Amino acid sequence: MRSSKKIFTPVVILALLGLAGLLISSQKIYADQWQSQSANSHLYFAPSWEGLPINGAFKQFAVTLSRDENDQPQSLSVSVQISSADMGTADFNEAIQMTEWFNGSTFAEAVFNSNTITSVESDDPRAQFIAQGILQLKGVERNIQVPFSWSEPADGNALMAGALSLGRNDFAIGTGEWAGGDQIGLAVKVWFDLVLESAND
Amino acid sequence: MDTKNTTEEWSWLSKLFHWLTALLIFIQIPLGFYAESLRLSPLKIDVFVWHKSLGMLVFLLVIVRLLWRIKSTIPIALANSRLQKILASAAHGILYGLMLALPLSGWVTSSASNFPVKLFWLIPLPSIVGPDDALKSIAAEVHEICVFVLIAILIVHIGAALRHQLMLGDNALKRMWF
Repeated sequence: MRSSKKIFTPVVILALLGLAGLLISSQKIYADQWQSQSANSHLYFAPSWEGLPINGAFKQFAVTLSRDENDQPQSLSVSVQISSADMGTADFNEAIQMTEWFNGSTFAEAVFNSNTITSVESDDPRAQFIAQGILQLKGVERNIQVPFSWSEPADGNALMAGALSLGRNDFAIGTGEWAGGDQIGLAVKVWFDLVLESAND
Repeated sequence: MDTKNTTEEWSWLSKLFHWLTALLIFIQIPLGFYAESLRLSPLKIDVFVWHKSLGMLVFLLVIVRLLWRIKSTIPIALANSRLQKILASAAHGILYGLMLALPLSGWVTSSASNFPVKLFWLIPLPSIVGPDDALKSIAAEVHEICVFVLIAILIVHIGAALRHQLMLGDNALKRMWF
């Protein structure tokens, strides 16, 4: 009895490992990778003053989306170079990199990685899917939802678009005298229009 | 209480235009220098909102005033010589020009800087140009030069009024008062 148990345990572990390996490799086989084309993709953001938007954009960022064997989006990851934030003028761009705002010299990159992506029924054409995951921005990690659409025109590329709102106080962007939000609003609109190309080997 | 000027007298409406713009300009000049001197802060934004709001008010007032002036009789100048008359009307012309150029160059500077404007926190002011660093510097430079010229002309303008009133005794200052 005792000896059979001794043998049984490693067998189970091996079997589990094998199964896990099979799952991982099967995911690899089916993973369908897409990568944003930087020249044709746009990531915008707009804080507001007195309800009027102040438009900005990140010039350097990368989006990767992978799909499962049923062509369903499976994971989404985004990385954004904070120093590439452009709000139209040199004065503005200098100001937003200061410590009370983005503090880009310390927190050079923002990263989003999805945990789950669900397909949703929505009237909003830009919210076919919702990626739920962690956004790491200015050293703060927050769970956020990223709604997006996905379409594949005939040219072989894919189009992805979406819009969301982030609370800048959640990420300590605009601290001290700016934290109140009575001047520069707390809600920051973020939206994107991306062209992705297949990145399968 | 006739709104129309005569060859001798300014009407109360013309006087109101004059003193209202005078009051606004006397607030605007220090306000502009103060706003510019502040570090980027909520206070700076607020001071600039006041400066932009009052500036656009001057702009509107000057347009109405000029339209009114074109249609009105202008009282005969109190000049003693032909040269004085030419200098006086040149100064007045420059003053009107500056009262248009200052709000306009300010508007361009503001629009090119990509910061939205709501006059008196109520009325959104549309952008007349898109975000543009080069244009912003030029417009800001023009704005600054204009304000220094304005200060110089105002010194002459006030000096001349005082000289007429106190030294020449022709009641020039009184003529513009109610």
